[in-house]
Amino acid sequence: MKNILSLCLIALLIGCGSKPTSSPSADSDTASSKPRVALIMKSLANEFFSTMAKGAQQHQSEHADDYELVVNGIKDERDLSRQVALVEEMVASGVDAIVIAPADSKALVPALRRAKQAGIVVVNIDNQLDQDVLEMEEVSIPFVGPDNLAGAKKVGDYLAESLTGSSPQVAVLEGIRTSFNAQQRRKGFEAAMEEAGIPIIDSQSAEWEMSKANTIASSMLSEHPDIAAILCANDSMALGAIAAVKSAGRSGDVQIVGFDNITAIQNAIGEGKVLATADQHGDQLAVFGIEAALKEIHGEGAGNDIETPVDLVTAESLSKK
Amino acid sequence: MTNSRWTQSLLQYGGLLAVLVLLIFIFSVSSENFFQTSTLVTIANQVPDLTFLAVGMTLVLIVGGIDLSVGSLLALSSAVLGVLMAHRGWSIWPSLGVAMLVSGVGGMINGSLSVGFRIPSFIVTLGMLEMARGATKVVTDSQSVYIGSRVEWFGQPLPGILLSPAFLTAVLAVIIGQFVLTRTVFGRYCVAIGTNAEAVRMSGIRSAPYSIAVFGISGLMCGLAGLAQTSRLSTADPNGAIGMELAAIAACVIGGTSLMGGRGSVISSFIGVLIIQVLRTGLAQIGVSDANKQIITGLVIVVAVMLDAVRSHWGKSK
Repeated sequence: MKNILSLCLIALLIGCGSKPTSSPSADSDTASSKPRVALIMKSLANEFFSTMAKGAQQHQSEHADDYELVVNGIKDERDLSRQVALVEEMVASGVDAIVIAPADSKALVPALRRAKQAGIVVVNIDNQLDQDVLEMEEVSIPFVGPDNLAGAKKVGDYLAESLTGSSPQVAVLEGIRTSFNAQQRRKGFEAAMEEAGIPIIDSQSAEWEMSKANTIASSMLSEHPDIAAILCANDSMALGAIAAVKSAGRSGDVQIVGFDNITAIQNAIGEGKVLATADQHGDQLAVFGIEAALKEIHGEGAGNDIETPVDLVTAESLSKK
Repeated sequence: MTNSRWTQSLLQYGGLLAVLVLLIFIFSVSSENFFQTSTLVTIANQVPDLTFLAVGMTLVLIVGGIDLSVGSLLALSSAVLGVLMAHRGWSIWPSLGVAMLVSGVGGMINGSLSVGFRIPSFIVTLGMLEMARGATKVVTDSQSVYIGSRVEWFGQPLPGILLSPAFLTAVLAVIIGQFVLTRTVFGRYCVAIGTNAEAVRMSGIRSAPYSIAVFGISGLMCGLAGLAQTSRLSTADPNGAIGMELAAIAACVIGGTSLMGGRGSVISSFIGVLIIQVLRTGLAQIGVSDANKQIITGLVIVVAVMLDAVRSHWGKSK
């Protein structure tokens, strides 16, 4: 009996909550005329994404009169259930736009479709949503971001030029294979290596993570002692690879390239431990997305894809700064 | 009589409900967008997967065990469901049947090994955590499997009542779980086994089948949780529910379930789940930084357990 009673209590609690709803939500609409933008990131423990978020917060504080910003991230890159929950929570709290770096290029689509159906402007940044699933869900969401394939190819081309030894072989550390970025960067690396006639003898996913990359790179180095270079799909993995190369006693002997241009990698490039990385202007990526979202809120711009720049970063380009 | 029942349930659930109400109050004050139907409905429709896991986990903790494999078994059942529906074109119910069979068998294996070989369930289920995750990656080929609207409806609000079939099923599981625990011979034996396994043995009851069945139930709950999560994502995610076993254990512990066995309530665990979810949603709406989110979540878990300890002490001494 007491159990039923307590269930009633819970029901009451939830029930109470639903009654006085119409008034506060109506108030909040009129009270703040500024549009509210929700930025939903991947793991903010990853410097790349925290830089992106900081860039957005900086932009908001400079344009405080134009919009409000709520930033949220997930614990690690794979927690996509939590990210879907964040989308639902932001829809529920009545934001005007969602700018999202999806943790998975497929699984976020239905949640974002529901957000659009609720009348919210949705802009996709960083990791492009899967075109097939977007079509199946009959929704179109603009992508504002860099061409990862072209960026990875630039890095790969630069590496190929520096590999002067006879018949060099390379290995690739991929990101999470389900993500579009990981696929694009792998394709970019592959294209560059194919053009240069350099075989990729091993290609594994280290799921974007430093410690995993360290383990995998170590086993790659002992499995294939001839590896001349390791191409990493992000800088965190490149940092993991540096340590692996060092503990294999091959520092300076194995070239490493990364992607993202995080601070730690700039030091490593300066010290010659890493050859090159690609700068997709991480601190501006979210800002590009927010600007596109604000335009769409104000009825400007038709929600088209926008390509943002990717630049090659090397010791040379760093010393110029 | 009725009066004493009221006081009794207030004593049992009062502390927890107070924490829950307090959290809702704090978030309602600090965010103008929290205390409204859409937010509360969103919270309700996000809890089913964790609720199913917490129901199973409560029973496992009560018999003195622990089940670390629930996150991986959830992912495995979700993977089976996804592959059968998306790649084989099966409809939802037979796919769910197979998925629950797989996770249920996984749970039975946990129980049988830990009881049969007297290995702590912590170790057995830790092994299962890895094996089931690996099996998930084999089944899905490490790719997320998109299913779409054929599974999405289960996690979406029903028109009119705003709650999803998944939420209603989860609440049903809580009610049945609490009934089984408090009103059936099976449930009372479970409590007895967790309180004093030796005494149970001396009174001529074979505890092994009960312990194994409890792990089997936990496995079946993982199957339902798998459906709930898959429907919310419209996708089977091979990397899904990593670390979710800890959230389930946290919910049970917040609800006053003892890690030593013998004490626990399914309804209290459910309130624990609600506390965790209200906290997640509220902190996200305010936009608290990620680092602070983790600190606050940890604090609330500890404080909730402390309040519960104080309450039960006060209840006893009175």
